[in-house]
Amino acid sequence: MTVSRDARANGRDAVDRGDDEPPPSAAEAGSDRPEPPDPAPVPVWRVLAATSTSAWREALANRAGFWSQIAIMIVNDVVWVVFWFLFFDRVGAVRGWDLDRLVVLFAVLTTSAGIVLGLLNNARRTGQLAATGALDAALALPVSPLAYLLVRRVEPVNVGDLFFGLGLFVALGDPTPTRVAVFAYGVACAVLILTGFLVLVGSLSFWAGRSDAGDLGFHALLLFSNYPVDIFGGATRVFLYAVIPAGFVSSAPARLVDDFDVRLALGTGAVAVAVAAAGATAFTVGLRRYTSGATWTRA
Amino acid sequence: MRAPARAEGAIGWLGPTAAAARLGARRAGAQPGGLAFAAVFYLMVTSVLAGLWATAADAAGGDIVGYSAVALVWYIAASESAVLALPQRLIEDVGIDIDDGIEAELLRPTPLIVVRLAAEVGGMLPRLGACVAVGVVLARIIGGPAPDPAALAIAFPSLLLAVTVNLAAQYAFAGAAFWLRDVRSAWFLYQKLVFVLGGMLLPLEVLPRWLELTAKALPFSAMAYAPARLASGHLEPELLVIQSGWLAAAIVGTAAVYRAGERHQIRTGA
Repeated sequence: MTVSRDARANGRDAVDRGDDEPPPSAAEAGSDRPEPPDPAPVPVWRVLAATSTSAWREALANRAGFWSQIAIMIVNDVVWVVFWFLFFDRVGAVRGWDLDRLVVLFAVLTTSAGIVLGLLNNARRTGQLAATGALDAALALPVSPLAYLLVRRVEPVNVGDLFFGLGLFVALGDPTPTRVAVFAYGVACAVLILTGFLVLVGSLSFWAGRSDAGDLGFHALLLFSNYPVDIFGGATRVFLYAVIPAGFVSSAPARLVDDFDVRLALGTGAVAVAVAAAGATAFTVGLRRYTSGATWTRA
Repeated sequence: MRAPARAEGAIGWLGPTAAAARLGARRAGAQPGGLAFAAVFYLMVTSVLAGLWATAADAAGGDIVGYSAVALVWYIAASESAVLALPQRLIEDVGIDIDDGIEAELLRPTPLIVVRLAAEVGGMLPRLGACVAVGVVLARIIGGPAPDPAALAIAFPSLLLAVTVNLAAQYAFAGAAFWLRDVRSAWFLYQKLVFVLGGMLLPLEVLPRWLELTAKALPFSAMAYAPARLASGHLEPELLVIQSGWLAAAIVGTAAVYRAGERHQIRTGA
C-alpha cells in the first residue's frame, strides 16, 4: 500500500491550521504555476516509520525524565525477580517450574510488554480514544488508522520493560543461538497476542461506551501472564488459554525456549495471528460506530 | 490580610474533618462501577497469589515457614485487601495536585492534611468493605475456614489501621512535590516497598533472617504484614500496638512535611 505525497501534505497542512478544510489548490489560489506532476507514491511503511520517529522524539524531548522513568521500571522489574528468587529459594520447583524457567518467562513477558506498552502504547488506550471521540486526527490520514495509532505514542516507563527483558535474557537466560531464535519467535507471538487482545477489548468501547472492561482485560492479561499457567487448576488453566490468552503470552513461549515442541510452536503462532486479526477486525468494524468528540487531538 | 485562624485547635477541626470523611465515603459509594472494578480486580489478584502459595505449600509438604496452605490463603486475602483498598496511584495524584496549585486549599482554617486524610479514609472504607467481603468468601472457598477465628477478629481493626498508616505515609511521600519538580513516578517504587518489605506478596518469614528483621522494623510491615499475619491464624495482638505507633508517627511526620511544604509555598509562591 502506498500514500501520495499530496495526500500527506494536505493532511499535515490541515492539522497545522487546526481545521479540517482541504487547502486551496494552486489554481484556486490564483497562481499561474502549473500543477506539479503527481509524484511517486510513498510506501505506507515510511509513513509509519516517520510517525514512530516523531513519537520517539517526543518521548526523548525530556531526556532526563525519559531515562529516570526507564530506571524506575527496571527497579520495579528487579523487585519481581527478587520475589521469584525468594519464592523458589524457599519452595523449590513447583509443577515443573523453577527459577531458571521463570526467568525466561519473565524475560519474554517484559520484552513483549515493553514493545506493546512502550512502543505501541496506544494499543492500551484504544478504548479511551474510541469512547471519548478522540480518533479524528487518525481518520483524516491516508494510512490505516489502527496502524497509525499504534505507532503514534511511545511510553518511556514501559520501554524500561523492554530493556530489562532483553537484559535479563542475555544475562540469565542462557542465550545460545537456538534459544535466542525461539525467544525471538516467542516474543513476536506474545506481541501479537498482547496487541490484538488490548485492541480487541478496547474496541468494545465503540459499542459499550466508556467502561472499565478494557482496563480490567488489560490488567487481567498482564497479571495472569506473570505466573506460570501450570500452577493453576484445570478449569482456570483452560480459561487462561482459551478466554484470556495469558498462557500463550508467557508460559508457552518460555516452555518453547526450554523445550522446543513444533506443535506448541505452531499452536502459539496460530493463536497469535488469530488474536491479532480479531483485534484488527473489531477495531475496523467498531469504527463504523465511531462518533467524533469534536476535539482535534494528536491521539 | 490576616492569616486564617487556626486557634480553634483539634476540637474546631472535628466538624470539617468528619464532613470530609463523609463526603469521601459518599463519593466512593456513588460510584458502584468503581467499587465493582476494585472488587473484581482484588478477586483476580488474590485468587492468583493465593493459588500460587497454596500450590507451593502443597509442593513443599504442606508447610512453608510455619504457614500451612490454608494460612497462606488467608494471609494473601488480608494482605491484598490492605493494599488494594487504596488508590494505587495516590502519590502521583497528590503530587499532581501540589504541582498544579494547592494554594486555595491552604487558605482553609483546618489544616490541609487533616481534611485530605479524612476524605481519603472515608473514600477508602467502601472499597475496603468490598475487598474484605470478597476476600472472606474467596479464602473460605479456596482455603477453608480461618485457622483462628479470634485472630481473624483482630485482623479487621488491624486492616483499618494498615490502610490508614499507608494513606498517611503516601501523603508524606507525595509531600516531596513541594520541593521536587516531579514525584509522579515515585508511587511505583513506594508500591514495591510495600509489596516485598511490607509483606503483601509473601510472608516476611520467607525473607532471609536479616531482611525479615529489617522489614519488621520498618513501617511498611504495618501496612500489609500485620493484618495478614493475624488473619493467617497468629494471635499476636501486639501487632495492633505496633501499628498504632506507626500510625501516630506517620500522622505526625506527614503533618510536619505539609507544614514545611506550606511555609515553602508561601515563601516562594511556587
